[in-house]
Amino acid sequence: MGVSIVYNEQELIAALKARDDQAFGYLYDHYSGSLYSIILQIVKSPEIASDVLQEVFVNIWRKIESYDAVKGRLFTWMLNISRNASIDLLRSKNYQNSRKNQEITDNVYGSDQVTQTSIDSIGLTKFLGKLRPEQRVLIELAYFKGYTHDEIAQIEDIPLGTVKTRIRNALLQLREYLK
Amino acid sequence: MKVEEYISSGIIESYVLGLASAEDSAEFERMCAAHGQVRDARNAFEIQLEEKISNQSVEPPRELKSRIFSKIGMERDQQAPVIPLKKPALVPRDGFVKYVAAASVILLAGSVLLNFYLISQYKKSIAQYNEVLASQTQYTTNNKILQTKLSDYENTLSLIRNPVMAIVKMQGVPSNPTSLATVYWNTKSKDVYLLVNELPKPAAEKQYQLWAIVDGKPVDAGVFDLGEGVSFMKLKTIPKAEAFAVTLEKRGGSVAPTMTALYVLGKVTG
Repeated sequence: MGVSIVYNEQELIAALKARDDQAFGYLYDHYSGSLYSIILQIVKSPEIASDVLQEVFVNIWRKIESYDAVKGRLFTWMLNISRNASIDLLRSKNYQNSRKNQEITDNVYGSDQVTQTSIDSIGLTKFLGKLRPEQRVLIELAYFKGYTHDEIAQIEDIPLGTVKTRIRNALLQLREYLK
Repeated sequence: MKVEEYISSGIIESYVLGLASAEDSAEFERMCAAHGQVRDARNAFEIQLEEKISNQSVEPPRELKSRIFSKIGMERDQQAPVIPLKKPALVPRDGFVKYVAAASVILLAGSVLLNFYLISQYKKSIAQYNEVLASQTQYTTNNKILQTKLSDYENTLSLIRNPVMAIVKMQGVPSNPTSLATVYWNTKSKDVYLLVNELPKPAAEKQYQLWAIVDGKPVDAGVFDLGEGVSFMKLKTIPKAEAFAVTLEKRGGSVAPTMTALYVLGKVTG
């Protein structure tokens, strides 16, 4: 490889907006692992996660123009693109159909559990383990499944206000966990 | 609500993680714009989150990077450069502009004419192409016919060249001196093939018949028509014969030869 360039955030964003290949390579090298881990925690399957990660990076390349530094850091923006793409995939018809088939084989071989444990030990899912069960369910539904607070209130049959409070409390614990 | 309380309400985390409602997000963005403290707190949380996730990163499959880059490369190639449209400034119609306008009308007319010309050329080419295609098909058909004929001849030739073939040349009788036909008789399989060298074309209701002379008696060896070109045909199998002869009979053949209509006759030698 050639000379490696270290970008600060502003330089990186400017180079990305200029569609600079080297900057994009740098972006991939530095962030693909983080984004892949988040996608993996949502979609569970490494194969599907690879497809989603590809879509995410293509989208980053397409939409970099619309990134607004005032609203947050570049990583936050990419993280949200990754989470949204993963959740969109979980909700897509194709995935739902393949999932139905998958469940049959999973029941036979019990392979789902193996994947589950290996993913549990990484990232935000590890944090979930530290929460009280009633909070964990809500974060799981909100962050990893993408349900709105209203939907969660219906699914869990609890008042909307309670959903909001529990999620906020859980998120405040997340901040402590990150420190 | 005081700014400190707002910061520790959990809104920062919901906003950054994409869990805040549209309404809450809009308010949070207003608070960020208004209070540096809120902005700093958000930034701090974002950095912590990024570090935590980065510490637990999972390496994606190696080939993914090149896959993504080739996808992006393809999109880049497809994207035409965007040229911003500038509003044309209003210019008074001075002499130069008039010339430009006139020139562009002429160019447009020229381009229309050129298009007509190109279309007619195109149509001509299509017609020519179709012609070529048709004659190509014709050639292919002819070629197939020739191939079939050739393989027929080759088969015939290989039969004739077979060393077990006895050749019986049947000369024209005095009433038909120019007639000539040849029997190729396979001495092993006893198959009889007839080559018509020269026989007059018979009337439609008549047909030639080959006879084998066995112990002085004529035995029917089959009737035949004169084909186009070389007539070489397989007739009946004859186990034993001293001579062969051809007579002209009614269509379908006769039980006994009409001796007045004898054309050719030949003895089996050896």
